[in-house]
Amino acid sequence: MNAPAGSLLSADKLCKTYGPTVALDGAEFSIHPGEVVAVMGPSGSGKSTLLHCLAGIVTPDSGSITYNGREMATMNDAQRSELRRTEFGFVFQFGQLVPELTCVENVALPLRLTGTSRKEAEKTALTWMERLEVDDLRKKRPGEVSGGQGQRVAVARALVTSPRVLFADEPTGALDSLNGERVMELLTDAARSTNAAVVLVTHEARVAAWSDREIVVRDGKSRDMERAV
Amino acid sequence: MRQWVRDLAMGVRFAFAGGREGWVRVLLTAVGVGLGVALLLLTTAIPNAMSVRDQREAARQDMSYSATRLKKADDTLIVGYVTTTYHDKSVRGRELEPEGSKSPLPPGVSAFPAPGEMVVSPALKKLLDSADGKLLRERLPERVVGTIGESGLIGSAELAFYRGAEGLESKINGGNVDRIERFGTPSPPSDPLDPVLLLLILVVFAVLLTPVAVFIAAAVRFGGERRDRRLAALRLVGSDARMTRRVAAGEAMAGAVVGLVLGAGFFMIGRQIAGSVELFDYSFFPSYLNPSPLLALLVAVAVPAAAVLVTQFALRGVVIEPLGVVRTAKPSRRRLWWRLLLPVGGLAMLYPMIGQGRERGNFNQYLTVGGVMLLLVGVTALLPWIVEAVVSRLGAGPVAWQLAVRRLQLSSGTAARMVNGIAVAVAGAIALQMLFAGVDSQYTQRKSEPVSGSEMAVRVTDGSPIAAAEKKVAATRGVKHVYDISDGYLGDSRTDPQHFAPVSVGTCASLREVAKLPSCRDGDVFALKGDGYAYETADVVKSGKTLWFDDSDDDPTTKTVGWTVPKDITDAQPTEDSARIGRAGLLMTPAALPAGADRLLTTELYVRLDKAVADAREYVRTTATRLNPYEEPNELVSVSRNENYAAIRGGLFVGASCVLMLIGASLLVSQLEQLRERKKLLSSLIAFGTRRSTLSLSVLWQTAIPVGLGLVLAATVGLTLGVVLLKMTDTPVSVDWASVLQMTGAGAAVVLAVTLLSLPPLLRLMRPDGLRTE
Repeated sequence: MNAPAGSLLSADKLCKTYGPTVALDGAEFSIHPGEVVAVMGPSGSGKSTLLHCLAGIVTPDSGSITYNGREMATMNDAQRSELRRTEFGFVFQFGQLVPELTCVENVALPLRLTGTSRKEAEKTALTWMERLEVDDLRKKRPGEVSGGQGQRVAVARALVTSPRVLFADEPTGALDSLNGERVMELLTDAARSTNAAVVLVTHEARVAAWSDREIVVRDGKSRDMERAV
Repeated sequence: MRQWVRDLAMGVRFAFAGGREGWVRVLLTAVGVGLGVALLLLTTAIPNAMSVRDQREAARQDMSYSATRLKKADDTLIVGYVTTTYHDKSVRGRELEPEGSKSPLPPGVSAFPAPGEMVVSPALKKLLDSADGKLLRERLPERVVGTIGESGLIGSAELAFYRGAEGLESKINGGNVDRIERFGTPSPPSDPLDPVLLLLILVVFAVLLTPVAVFIAAAVRFGGERRDRRLAALRLVGSDARMTRRVAAGEAMAGAVVGLVLGAGFFMIGRQIAGSVELFDYSFFPSYLNPSPLLALLVAVAVPAAAVLVTQFALRGVVIEPLGVVRTAKPSRRRLWWRLLLPVGGLAMLYPMIGQGRERGNFNQYLTVGGVMLLLVGVTALLPWIVEAVVSRLGAGPVAWQLAVRRLQLSSGTAARMVNGIAVAVAGAIALQMLFAGVDSQYTQRKSEPVSGSEMAVRVTDGSPIAAAEKKVAATRGVKHVYDISDGYLGDSRTDPQHFAPVSVGTCASLREVAKLPSCRDGDVFALKGDGYAYETADVVKSGKTLWFDDSDDDPTTKTVGWTVPKDITDAQPTEDSARIGRAGLLMTPAALPAGADRLLTTELYVRLDKAVADAREYVRTTATRLNPYEEPNELVSVSRNENYAAIRGGLFVGASCVLMLIGASLLVSQLEQLRERKKLLSSLIAFGTRRSTLSLSVLWQTAIPVGLGLVLAATVGLTLGVVLLKMTDTPVSVDWASVLQMTGAGAAVVLAVTLLSLPPLLRLMRPDGLRTE
């Protein structure tokens, strides 16, 4: 299958096994710029593996992934890393902030990895922290803030490079519903304001409700709910 | 009580239940504890070894200790003292002539060797059988008919022999040939260990023990985070806080107990090795090294107890709750004052012994060991403060640097603890190397002063014809030149003289070797105005006064001879050699010597050696032994002992490197453990594009910063301790920069090796698989 017209990132017939466990078995995916797509499914269905493959973190056993018209299989590890540094952003379930850095240093980290000076990086980081309403935490360390605050810092870190695709793996999984709602609101607003596509992995329907489209993964196979309708 | 045992047993089970990682942890802890135990046991065995040595020395004493000469009897034995020297090692030798069926046998000897036979120590037998002992074999040609048992020797490396003899009775003189009726003495004279050697032994053990103790303290904290989580799980199923602490104690005890077993094994191996080691002419038999049972029991109880205490101490800042581990609030800023107390206290303990040297008795063992250990332990107290103080001032640089510095700022204590062992080992080794270098250079300097003249002196006694003896020595291989001088004393009265003037008699050619003579003819007398002449000789030697040749040391049958001081005594100045040995007094040519006075003089043949002949000294000694086995030639200058020092220095470097490697292994385990704890974080950093090189470099900085600080502190403390120890031995202070560089280099190499070895697992941990949760 060729990439759907106008899609920014797409995957076709992805297969991935971990030993005897089949994680992906012919999964398909596509996303357009500015679109929010929720990848849903029960635990162990392969949704996180799909996200890792799409982000170039994991190489699929077979199938193809195309980003912005370029086949990802043709890229080497360094090129994929650069892609993640400059074009993609990530939010994980537990934030995965570096515990010894302050919040502003954590947010500035992706910029610093691209070679931006510390001052410039922290200035941009602070802008994003303001947008996510966590600028008052800039000097605190991750261990000193709440789960919801930490996750908002993580979202700010994911968006600080103005990525074209934001990958969010269960971004509200560790939060209560109130905090979860607030994080999703800020995440989607911020992504839409920069026209970033969001790949949102979740098993919660109320989180998926923030998306434009839903894809369900079950036993390694995907089903586009919109097309199915 | 039953509950206690159950909790401890559960802890022991946990210690071994962690799979390969658990085993590695237990093994490393056990090896560290084992080394410590072995060293402790060796230390506790040394006093016993010294005492056994003294007892054996006393048991083989073969002096008559009698003012009157013993009469020949069925239970008497004549002993001739024929000790010799071979390649700078003393070879204890005795000639034995039993005078009856009840003559006493020396300890370790089962039967008297017949004339032409000898029994030898195992070390001497080995030497005589080897190519190295060829020249000695020429000197000791007797047939070897047995070996001396351990009870007759004071060390495994001692060279000793007893040989059969006959016709010794005529040679009995109360000096080199004597009649005895028993071996041993009821009141053994103590032969104390050289104070500096004792100091070296004490410092070696303190220097080796301290890093091992620090290592043990670190080793029992391996896997602390996992253990805490395990304990939290136990809390969830109903264990109370005290029970979890007992389980933790059980875990720590398991490693310590395995360590005790390993330690006993290491000690047995070390004991055997100690039997083949000789240090500054001291050697031991393995059987000497028996620690006192009480001290051994103390070690067996104290080591596991210490391991448990360290674990409980580490847990003091941790609250284990059913849902996880809570660390108490961020510790307050480290205070410097009490940390300085340790090294300052150490210096205060050593201070009273400064300038003591080897002349004023032994160094106080407790003050020495306590002082050295406090100084070294002071490193472990100071290092966390220094690391904290320095890293808190470090700014943010590139990402790798920033990640490392921030991590150190957050947990500098862990980093310092990891480096403590290396810093202590390096500091101790630097101090010890300095002490060895200082003591040895002092020794070497004293013995190897450049001498232009004679190097050996062979005494001619027993009325042997001097000319014949001189001819034989001159014909010996390696001898360049020989001259003879006969020495004696002139007293100021015939009986009970109060003042003496030394007198040396020789031909004009011989006298010119010891003095600068204006002119010389047979019959001339000179006043050799060397150092000391003015003190005594000048008062005794007055023109026209009659002086008397001293006969007090000679045969009672000989009579003294008088000599009148002539008017025309010419002044003479000493040569460089004479000045060095302090020769002064009267010089006489043979014609000036009154008749009969020659019997009251002792003649020595002064020998100048051909440096091109490697074993010239040994050839001379062999000739001297053949001339008179009861007199050993005097060494006027000895060869240096640099080789000995090089061997010790090499051995010390190997020992310190082994300790460093062990600490390095623990550092690696600890490092990998920390990396595993951060597996998910590392994977997420990689996910958003962090270069692997950035993370690897950050790991290197994270180790290199505390290690760099640790090595600077180690060098400072090591040099300070070295200076103090040298001042204690009254040795000129000089810094052995080579060893400082060698030891700090070894410490740095260990860190580099640990970083390199932790890179492959780090790269594996950075794989995206780490993000998988299912």
